[in-house]
This record gives sequence, structure tokens and C-alpha cells, in this order.
Amino acid sequence: MSTKTPAAPTTKKTQQEPRLPNPQNKKLLRTIEPYIWIAPSIILMAIFIVTPIFKVFQLSMNRVTRAGKLKGFNNFENFTSVIKDPAFSIVLKNTILWTIAVVLISTLLGFILALILNNQFKGRKVARAIVVFPWATTLVIQASAWNFIINKDYGTLNTLLRTLHIIGKNASINFTPTPTAYFAWEIACGIFVTIPFVCFCVLSGLQSIDASYYEAATVDGAGYFQKLFSITLPLVKSSLTVSTVLNIIYVFNSFPIIWTMTKGDPANRTDTLVTYLYKLAFYNGKQGEASAVSVIGFIILLMCASVYMIYTLRKGDEEL
Amino acid sequence: MKKVLAALLATAMALSLVACGGGNNSNGGGSSAGGGAGASDPAPSGGGDKTAIKVIAAEYGQNTKQWWADFQTEFNGSHDSIDLTVEVVSWNDIYTVVNTRVSNNDAPDILNIDVFADYVADDLLLPIQECVSPETYAKMYPAFLEQSNIDGTIWAIPDLASARAMYYNQDILDAAGVAVPTTWDELTEACKKIKEYDSTIYPWGIDMTTDEGQAAFAYYIWNNGSDFTDAEGNWTLNADKNVEAIEYAIGLYNAGYTNTDPATETRYNLQDLFGAGKLAMVIGPNSIPTYIADNYAKANTPEEEQINYAFAAIPSNGGNASVSAGVMDRFMVFDNEDSAEKIEAIKEFFDFFYEDTRYSNWVLMEGFLPATSAGGEIVAASDPSMAPWVEIVGSCKFYPTAKAEWADVKQGVIDVEQQALLGGNVKELLDALQAKIAG
Amino acid sequence: MKKPLSLKKVVLRLLLYFVVLDVCVITLYPYFAMLCTALKNRVEIFSGDTILPVTALWSNFIDIWSRAPMAKYMLNSLLIASGSTIIAMLCGIPAAYALSRMKFKGQTAFLGFVIVSQMFAPVVLLIGIYQVMQVLHLTDSLWGLIFINAAFNQAFTIWLLRGTFMGISADMEQAATIDGCNRIQSMIKVLLPVAAPGIVTTLIFIFINAWNEYTVALCLISTDTLKPLTVGINTFNGYNMIEWQYLFAASIFAIIPVVILFMCIEKNLVSGLASGGVKG
Repeated sequence: MSTKTPAAPTTKKTQQEPRLPNPQNKKLLRTIEPYIWIAPSIILMAIFIVTPIFKVFQLSMNRVTRAGKLKGFNNFENFTSVIKDPAFSIVLKNTILWTIAVVLISTLLGFILALILNNQFKGRKVARAIVVFPWATTLVIQASAWNFIINKDYGTLNTLLRTLHIIGKNASINFTPTPTAYFAWEIACGIFVTIPFVCFCVLSGLQSIDASYYEAATVDGAGYFQKLFSITLPLVKSSLTVSTVLNIIYVFNSFPIIWTMTKGDPANRTDTLVTYLYKLAFYNGKQGEASAVSVIGFIILLMCASVYMIYTLRKGDEEL
Repeated sequence: MKKVLAALLATAMALSLVACGGGNNSNGGGSSAGGGAGASDPAPSGGGDKTAIKVIAAEYGQNTKQWWADFQTEFNGSHDSIDLTVEVVSWNDIYTVVNTRVSNNDAPDILNIDVFADYVADDLLLPIQECVSPETYAKMYPAFLEQSNIDGTIWAIPDLASARAMYYNQDILDAAGVAVPTTWDELTEACKKIKEYDSTIYPWGIDMTTDEGQAAFAYYIWNNGSDFTDAEGNWTLNADKNVEAIEYAIGLYNAGYTNTDPATETRYNLQDLFGAGKLAMVIGPNSIPTYIADNYAKANTPEEEQINYAFAAIPSNGGNASVSAGVMDRFMVFDNEDSAEKIEAIKEFFDFFYEDTRYSNWVLMEGFLPATSAGGEIVAASDPSMAPWVEIVGSCKFYPTAKAEWADVKQGVIDVEQQALLGGNVKELLDALQAKIAG
Repeated sequence: MKKPLSLKKVVLRLLLYFVVLDVCVITLYPYFAMLCTALKNRVEIFSGDTILPVTALWSNFIDIWSRAPMAKYMLNSLLIASGSTIIAMLCGIPAAYALSRMKFKGQTAFLGFVIVSQMFAPVVLLIGIYQVMQVLHLTDSLWGLIFINAAFNQAFTIWLLRGTFMGISADMEQAATIDGCNRIQSMIKVLLPVAAPGIVTTLIFIFINAWNEYTVALCLISTDTLKPLTVGINTFNGYNMIEWQYLFAASIFAIIPVVILFMCIEKNLVSGLASGGVKG
């Protein structure tokens, strides 16, 4: 890639002239060109995501029978009946708690882990490969495994504690005595599977930092944390932001962990919006209301995103 | 690094090309039926001389898939003009799969599932008598057919049934010095004694999960002489006897006589706790013996570790006779504007399926109970351990699945149970549910 | 390592190994539990008496291959994951390139659209997705899943690559353009090799996501031999019981290809522009 660069300056003038037969065309081309570049992506998303999204809006406005047939506009009844359900506020609260806890903690831990794995040390390759494990496992299985581990009656964690003589021979700890405890385990599982994602996003950002920055800073006598905050953080900011924003969306909409571990039981105490609407749609046969819930979830995310867009994106564009 | 990337992309590209090749082949090559692709047009697109029938069947256990695969081969082998495809879907996913297809007008021709009233409400089904030959129809237990009656029309035929009874671990009961309980008072007493004998054993199993919490509701109210509805078919969810029944069940939990978390521990967990000898008594389906034989007796288990168990009638209260709960699954036929040939083909399918030997095979495969009298005789004769069950299934009670509100009631009672487990007042909860359903 | 190791350095090193070891142990624990379960029979699983199986039943690992067409499931998963990765990259790289190297109206709107497109969970979109696939005749075909997964991963692809591209100076590409390369050539020859760490991260991300996708595959695929691994192993999740030993054995197999893929391209994560890191 570097072989061609030195020759560049000399050819500058001569090359440009013959390539511009018609300035008018060139201008037109320049205006359309970016759109051609983004077209494949737009087409792909328009067909496979936007169309289904329209369907969701349509379902949410209609009376939908249990078997899934549309029976006409019903005056936002789906929305009102969802909001009137006393379970809805519990579910909403859970969703917010779930999203914030998982995203915040996994981002923090993932970031630290990335800093550690970015060091040169023996076995780094193996360590990195191991960190990928939780990510490489289907969430359904991951959640089943955790459920299996923490089970009071035959869980391996109790067996481990017994073998290590931390608890008595016949004792077993009930790790999930209350719905809140169960929810905490689900959050822990969520964090466990999200860390690798954050970690590798940050790692990819760390890789592109030029080592000379650090050398210069060291010469200037900067300490570790000074370097961390003044060099590392600003430079991985872009990848960290991407991973956080997408994480919020993914975690908000995450389904398999909670579904596998508790199905939102008991009495919606561990439900989030997605498991709640799944039950509405496929257990209670209320497609319309389920779609209304997802539209509400969408609006919540959209509000968060617009705050982000207005604040960070504008600022970020100026910066870069 | 460029090379690595390029090689990777190239490999992936090659793989995906193979993918589309494979995909296309199996679609196009799937004879004239058009596989699953010819969704909207029932008439086959290519070839044209075969009638395609699509079946979605529920996966009952480890043998179901193979059984249907063999069935399909056999059926297609002996019916030149029909092309049958059976898709077996696991119970966890079948509602998702079927609802998605139905909303997109891509319903199967024949569906094997438990519910049917919703499809009737949307005019999606054909009256089953139009699709089954009179000879086959006559084989069904009339009481079973009645379960699929809405407004005088029978919409589905039963494919199998299962019945519930109380299983108990004889060794634990003997060691604790209790007899097999037949009433609720005896049950409470037995639980107490078992707990005193060994506090690490759970005396009684309860499943109040989203999966099957409605079954627990049914066990207790039916055995308290009550029901979901009155004789006229009006919902009576908050009847005093129902409140009493659920309070009793919750009381067992509060006293520490049950498994730790009835709201999240499904029947799978209970089965395994029972099989491992950690649970003394549990209400379970007739398939439990098959299950224990397959998993606990066989698998290199030394004799002394195998549990010594038996089953008895579910304990009842207030001098009421014990009621066994029955669960019945069904076949239904979707109205896909079928031609006369197609209806004939569907009839052929049912005749073939309910042929006595094949049918009793089907039932025995996963340890279920037959829904036809001829099947019942064969099953009872071939497996003496099934004989008492064939008796029981003839007399057990079923959920009111033919009522349109059933899906709401089912989720509603589960929610009531779970709220009660968390300390809610059963009476108030059931009042609220009754008001929501009936009002 | 020119200077002799100071005490502080040694302590830091030890601390580093200690933390890394802990992380690895915690991460591997579920897999250890899964492996042990996969090697036990049912009685042992539910007795909860021992951690390790008394006699390892390696036959469980062999049984799953006869109980279900595992090889076929695995191939399908591989095809879906690689297909989606390619398509997502083919669509995403140009878009990210345009966003980072050109100025055009609607740039911010497009970025916003990409994010908004991710705001519905696939579970919610199932019915709509099925409808689209019906129109395109892609139900029950691997292509359908390839497109869906590619589409669902556009946001990550575009956003991460845009960030990566923006972090790379455009000078070299301009030089290449002057050298006679057109935009596409300069992108492929100059920009992409430099952006390798970001590209590899994206690649792994899409591959893993597609490999793990469950809900859409469940609804779209009805032919058993077209099912990916995630849906296929449901065979062990029956009406009357869950066969944990088989479920976990199959799941362990499912991790292997992803880890191999990762090991193969991992070094590209390191060998980007600079291999220097934060050293304590």
C-alpha cells in the first residue's frame, strides 16, 4: 500500500485534466455518487427490516384476532388496554433496570478487560479466544446453562460449594429465593454475554492507536491514568459510543435470556417488554396488543436515540 | 493480512454459493409439490399431477420426528397421487410457528396441536366431518369428540390423550410412615411427616409456571368438587370452592411442603426431581413411567438407586370423588379453499393414520393414551401397564378449550396463582379475574 | 525490555496474570459445567452429588450425531453465517465509506435511519418478515436467513466501519487516486488493509450474530435438513423432557467453529496500524 505514495505529487496536475471532459456531468456524478454507495445497504434494510416494521405499526392499530387476522382499525384500543394493564408498569420498570444495569456494567467491565487484553503477555491469544466463548454460544443455551448452574436442587454451583466444603454436605443454597434475586441473576447473565462484545469493540479501537502517542506522553512524565484519560479514552470514544448505543438497543430488545430462565414469571416480576409482548402475542394470542407494546418500546428507544443524535452526533461530526 | 481477508471472503463466498445451490435444489427438486415454497397456491406449480398436503405436527418426544418421517415415506409410497409433507415442530415453538404462518395466509392443511377454538372463531377451519371418512370418524370416543364441539359442529378429532394421576415414591412414604393420601387432610399430614422424616426431600410437587399452571388450577378445583364453569357453561372462576382449593395449594407452598419455586419450576424439573428421589409425591402424566424407564432405570443405574414408585388417584377434598385431569390434542383441517381431490387426499391421510395397528403404534411410541376405542383395546392388550390408564382416560375431565375465552382464562389463572405465591389474596385475585373474563 | 525489571513491573505483571486467569476461569465455568453435564447420565445429572461424571459417557457426544442430522445443521449454520457476513460487508463497506469520505445531503438522516432500523426486536418483526419472505419466495430457504441476518447487522457494520474509516487519514487514498486509481480501487487497495482490525471485528460480530440467530430461523425454515444448529438442537427439547446431556453436548460442538474462525483471524485484530498498547 505504501509503494505508490511517493510518486504522487508529481503527477497531480497532468492526471486531472483529461478526466474532466464535462464539468456539468462531473458535478451531477458527484451529487449522486454517495447515494449509489449507500444504495445496497438501504435496499437491503428497506426490504427486510422496514417492511416488517410497517407491518408492526399496522398490527398495532388494528383489531387482530387470535389466529392473527386483521379486523380493521380499532381506535388505538390496543394501546389503551396495554397501558391500563397493571403489569405494564412493572414490566416497564424492569426493562429500564435491565437495560441500564446490563449496558452500564458490561461496558465498564468490557472496557477494563479490553485494556488488559491489549497488553503483551504470554497466552494472550488463548485468553482472547476464551473471552469470545460467551459470545459464541447461543443465548438460549447460555441461559439454560446458567439456570442449570444456579438451580437449588441439582445445580452445579451448589455441588461445587459442597465439594469445596464451603457449605455443609447436605446443604444447598437457594440462589433465587425471590423474583428480585432471579432478576439479578438474569442481569448477571446478560452482562456475562455482553462483555465480549464491548471488549472487542474497544480492542479494535485500541489497535489503531499509534504507540508513539504513549511514548511521547511517557517522556512528558504522564502517569497511567493520565494517559488513560487523555489518550486512550478520546481515541476509543468512537468505537465505545458505537458499542454502547447499539448495546442499549440490543439489550433493550433482548429476549432469550429472560425467556429461558423465567419466562417473566412469577407474575411479570421478571418480565421485560419483549418477553411480555411475546407472551401477549404467542401465548395469549393478542398480536395487536403485542405490536402496541413494541411500538411503545420503539418510541422509548427513539426518544433516547434522538437525545443522543442531537447531542453527540452533531458534536462528533464537527470533531472528526 | 489482505490475503487472509481475501481468502476468508472467497471461502465464505464459495460456501454461500453452495448454500443457494443446496437451497434451490431442495426446493425445486422436492417433486411436484413445490416443497414449502408454493405457499399461496394450493395447486402444485410444476408437474401438477400430485395433490400436496402439508401437515404441521407437534413434537411429543424423542421418537416423534422419526415416526412421522417413516409415516410420510410409507404414505407417499402407497399413494401415488398424493404428496404429503409433515413438519414436526417442538411444543416450545409451535404457537409461534403456526400463528406466524396463519397470519400470512400460509396455514398448513392439517394441524396437530392442542387448541382449536381460536381458529374456529376466525372461520379458518373446515368442519372435521367433511374431511374424515365416516368409518374413521366412528372410531373416536364420542366423549372426546364432544370436547371439540362449538355450536353443534365438531371441528377437530383427537389424535391422542394423556391423563394425570398422583405418583408417589413408595420408599419415602414407607420410611416416613405414611399411607398413600386420598384426601387433602391426609395429604397435608403426609407432607408434614415426610418433612419431619427428611427435610431435604420435597413432599409435594407443584407447577404453576406459564407453561402449565392451568393444570395445577384444574387439579385442585376439580378435586374440590368445583369447575371453571357452571353447568350452563358460564365462567365461575371465583366460586368459593375454587378460592378454597387454590388457598389450599398455596398453603402447602407456604408451609414449605412443596418444591422451592412453583412459579418457575416446570413439570420437567418436577419429573426429574421425582426420578432422582428428591420429590415424594407429584401429579403427573401417564408418560412418567416410560420417562423414568428410559432415563433412570436404563442408564447404568444400580438397582438400589432406582426409585420404587407407583401411582394413585389424585387426592380430593370434602368427600368428592377424585377427578383425573385429561389433556387431549387434536387434528384440525384448515380451509385452504381445497379442491375435491384435496379433501379426498386428506381423508386418505386420516384413514391411514387411524388404521388400528398404526394408530396404536403412534400412541405407544411416546407413552400416550389412545382416543379411539379400537386403539384402546389394542393398547390395553399389548401393554398391561397401560390398561388402568385406558380406563382412567375414558372418565377424566378436560379443560373447557371449546370456549372462546379459554386462552384468557388460562393465562389469567396462572397469573392468579403466581400472584398468590407472592402473597396475594386469592379471593380478590379470582374476583378480579372473573370480572375481567365474564364482565 | 531494555531496562531491568523493576519490582513495580513484576507486581503489575503478576496482577495482570491473576486477573486474566480469573476472567478465564469465570468465563469457562459454564462450559465446564456444560461439558460435565454432557458426559453424565440423567441420574447423575439430577443427583447433583459430584462435579465430574463418575464414568464419562463420551457416547453422548456420538449419540447426538445419530439422533439428529447434526452435520447438516452445522453446515447450514456455516452457510448462513458466512453468507450473511459477505452480504452485510458488501452492502455495509460502501455505505460506511460514503459516510466517512463524502459529504452529502441526508448523511445524518441515513445514520439515524440505520439506528432506527434496529429498534425493533426480531421477535416483534416475525410476522412482517414472514410476509416479505413469502412474496420473495424465500421462506424455507437459507437465502432468506442470509438476507435477514445481513440486514439486521447493517447498523453495527456501518457504524463501526464508519468510525474506523474516519480514524484513518484520507491522504493515502487521495494519493492513490492521483496515481490513477479510481475510488473503488483506492478503497480496496489502500483503505481496507489499514482498516483491517475494524473490519475483522465487524466480520466476527456479524458471523457470530448470524451463527446464533434463533427466532427468525425458527419461523422461516420448515424443512428439517435446512435448519441451522440453533433451531436443530431443539430436537433435544421435547414435550415431556429436556435432554440436557444431548443439548449441552450439541451446544459444545456449536461453539467450536466460531472459536476456530476467531483464532484464525484473531491476529488481524492485533496487527493493524500499530501494535503498541497500554502498558503499565
